[in-house]
Amino acid sequence: MSKYDLSFQPPLMNAAGTLGFAPGRRAALDWTQFGAFITNPISLEPRAPAQERNCLTFPGGFLLRTGFPNPGLRQVLRRYALRWARSPLSVIVHLLVQRSEDLPWQVRLLEAAEGVTGVELGLPPDVDPETAQSWVSAAAGELPLIVRVPMERALALAPVVMDAGAAAVSLGAPRGALSAPNGKFQEGRLYGPAVFPLALHTARRLSQMKLPVIGAGGVYHPAQVEAMLAAGAIAVQLDAVLWRGGLPSPENPLR
Amino acid sequence: MSVYVGRITEVCLDSLGKLQVRIACPSGAIPGAGQYLRAWVPGDEQQALPLCLFPAEMQENGFLAAPPAPANWLPGMRLQLYGPLGAGFHIAPGVRRLALAAFGETPSRLLPLIPIALAQQADVTLFSELNPALLPPSVEVSSLNDLPEAIRWADFLALDITPQILPTLRQRLGLKANEPLSLKAQALVNAVMPCAGVAECGVCAIPARRGWKLACLDGPVFDLADLEW
Repeated sequence: MSKYDLSFQPPLMNAAGTLGFAPGRRAALDWTQFGAFITNPISLEPRAPAQERNCLTFPGGFLLRTGFPNPGLRQVLRRYALRWARSPLSVIVHLLVQRSEDLPWQVRLLEAAEGVTGVELGLPPDVDPETAQSWVSAAAGELPLIVRVPMERALALAPVVMDAGAAAVSLGAPRGALSAPNGKFQEGRLYGPAVFPLALHTARRLSQMKLPVIGAGGVYHPAQVEAMLAAGAIAVQLDAVLWRGGLPSPENPLR
Repeated sequence: MSVYVGRITEVCLDSLGKLQVRIACPSGAIPGAGQYLRAWVPGDEQQALPLCLFPAEMQENGFLAAPPAPANWLPGMRLQLYGPLGAGFHIAPGVRRLALAAFGETPSRLLPLIPIALAQQADVTLFSELNPALLPPSVEVSSLNDLPEAIRWADFLALDITPQILPTLRQRLGLKANEPLSLKAQALVNAVMPCAGVAECGVCAIPARRGWKLACLDGPVFDLADLEW
């Protein structure tokens, strides 16, 4: 990926929140399969883990609630800027929006960080179109801006954020609810192979609307990457499959 | 830590009726007491997440994993293993009276400490409401209600707890508010670890004396003195 455009070669990357803050060895992945690296979601101020953090499984997937804990943008830059600069992969920093007025200088900080080639803006699940539009305008800068829209609201939000200056949209994990063992309802993000049909449908519809979309959700097999690309996605983000070593391949069928 | 291929050699029920598996693997893959492996069956897309496997018993060519095992794991299946991961227990050579306390659904994760302790001529008592079979005869088993007495007898306490137990631990140990624990203690915090350290996702975050610690990376065995409890 070059600094000012959005072409990914190979057209594969991780989804925010799946591989930490910098490419590393813990995941035991073949990084040559990736066209970019997306950081964990980063807020301006430090964020503690969610009080009711949890991971609940269901057939075909799991529900995750974390609160996106992170040490805050300044601390992340202190800890990881050097690794981003040395990374053989393009690094795209995922920003969690808290206040619109903070976005311009957050983006300027990232523009000055070597190795950062893009920004992905994570929209909260309940954002309204007007607010989304103002956030995207505020985050517009030199770096290409990907906007992660909630999957279940992507068809409504994607045209708005593209008009506001986004270079592409990516699909955030859909939300759901399960009954936890303690009997309480637990809400969170949904991952796993069961999500794939919804993700493919959404990517296909956005592509039919001539919007550049990075497909994501439930991709566990190379054939699903191919299906996303055939549906018109410009690239594909992998999520929880990366926690089990990545996609199976002819060279490594054991994944 | 590295990537290994393992094979399920036996599926059995433990004495408490929980499914567990014996795994053959290279010696480098065998986790130490309290450590874990990230494991999955290649091609099994129904298992969306890897499993964190803890050892219950080590052997020369593999280990018996602490329960529970997935119901669809069968003898002969190949497993992809990654690890060993995390910080395990460390029992100093001078320990002579070891108390093991299992608050979870199985005491299995503490059992690898028994041969280590017996090899250094330590006395061992297991505090648990669940009595595992085939313990060495020299190991006493007692109720968790007896723990307050145990911490006056033991010189090392190894715990298996969930994060939910931590706020009540002081009471369970019979300690008054702010009363310090008079012996060295380590706790295996049995938190859900979906990413097993790959993402620092935060689900397994444990409140610590200074901020938060992740069970997957900083633990899962912690010095109790480092945790907020």
